[in-house]
Parts: sequence; structure tokens; C-alpha cells
Amino acid sequence: MKSPLALMIFWIFLSDVCDTVSQLVLKSCINSLGWNIDSVKKALQLAFELAKIPVAWVGFIFSIFSLLIWLFVLRHSDLNLAFCVDSMRYILIALASMAVLKEKISFMRWAGIFSVVCGITLVVLG
Amino acid sequence: MPQKPQITFKIFLFLIFIDLLETFNQFCFKKTALANSSFDIKTFQDIIHFATGVLASPFLWLALVAVLLIFIIWSTILSKIDLSVAVVVNSFSFITIPLVSVVFLHERVSLLRWLGIAIILMGVVLASLNSRPKEHQP
Repeated sequence: MKSPLALMIFWIFLSDVCDTVSQLVLKSCINSLGWNIDSVKKALQLAFELAKIPVAWVGFIFSIFSLLIWLFVLRHSDLNLAFCVDSMRYILIALASMAVLKEKISFMRWAGIFSVVCGITLVVLG
Repeated sequence: MPQKPQITFKIFLFLIFIDLLETFNQFCFKKTALANSSFDIKTFQDIIHFATGVLASPFLWLALVAVLLIFIIWSTILSKIDLSVAVVVNSFSFITIPLVSVVFLHERVSLLRWLGIAIILMGVVLASLNSRPKEHQP
């Protein structure tokens, strides 16, 4: 039960957009907590602390959207193809970090992003 | 800010373990997706049917346990080594997931696709090379 490739790429893109929103929200929440996680116990505590922040739930909900869309994609597409095309999340997250979190992107990172785009194109063609 | 220590063999093994967990995770998601007969969503009822079908799959819960484990190990490792190093070692899943797809899901991966995977891997390595801000470097 395979679907047109362009449609699948669109759904993967949508899943990655949801994931990017989730990552941005969670990163902002973690930044606001200002924790230094140096043990497994602290990592678990962080998960509980995040659950107490209302805004973090926006992140969790977008994660769930992303997961549901991802399962839909996997239903209609090969895992290896979907997983490789899914690496467009690296590009989306880098661009969103630059636009929203005002992070700087070095020349090397742009080169990496360009390489990921070329790789995805080859994967889709293959 | 003190420089983070170099990657140790133990941390390396944990990162490889994350790669394997990630592979297991994606395999379980694929199995969850295959376990549901009706995935053609046209109405709101279809969405509910889809969501309940997904929640009933044991593979989904296995995958979510793997996600939690990945979160805990990854957050702990990042406090011990730089993100740039962690991301590179963590990219092995780009190889293990297609391998699992071929062996267990009987998918086909062409030579051109393997080349694409290699170029994506190179991109991930390049992007992470300079992730540490300059003022933190010795």
C-alpha cells in the first residue's frame, strides 16, 4: 500500500514541523529551568519538572501530533526511505534555532545542511 | 566554563546503545503502523479509530519505553561530553535502521540510496563539527 512519493514527503515535512515546534518549546522551557543534568536521577527529575510547566505541554502535544503523522507515514512508506527523508528535521531545527532562539549558524553547519539536502535528494531518487 | 572530558569507552558504548534503541524504536513504530488495518483517514471518526488502534498496539508502548530510555541516557551523556561528539557517534542509526529495514522488514535499499545515506551522514558530521561556541574552546 504505497502512496505517491511527493505526498509522503509532505507528510514527513509536516511531522518534522510539529517536531521542530516541540523541540523549540521544550528547549525554551529547559533553558528557563537552567539545570545542569549530571546524573540519570536529575534527567528523570527534569522530565517531571517539565511536566509541571504548562507551556511544556504545548511541546508534548506537538510531539504527539508528530508521532501520529509519523505512524501514518510509516503505514504508507518504507521505513528506510521515511527515516532518511526525516533527516530534513536537521535543516528545520537549525533554521528555527536561528530565527527563534537567535542561535548562530556557522559556515560549516551550512555546508552540513547542504550535504543533508543532497543526501535526501539521492535517497528519494534511489 | 571547564572543558568537558573526552569521550570514554563507557560513554561510547552508551551512545552505541542509544543507536540500537533508536533502531528498535523505529522498528516498533513501523510494526505499530502495520498492525492497524484502517489507516485511511477521511472523517473525524477515522482519526479516533486510528488513535485507539495505535494505542492498543504493544509495539507502540515498547517504542515509548525506548524513547524514555533514550531521553534519560542522552540527557545524562550530554552533561559529560560535547554535543558535537555525541551527535556523530549517534548517527550510526542512519546505517542500522536501513540494515534492519532490509533484514527484518524485507525492504530494498538501492546503491543510490546508500550513497544518499552516506552523504546525509557526512552532512550531520559537518554540521556538528562547529557546534561548540568558540569561547568555550581551550
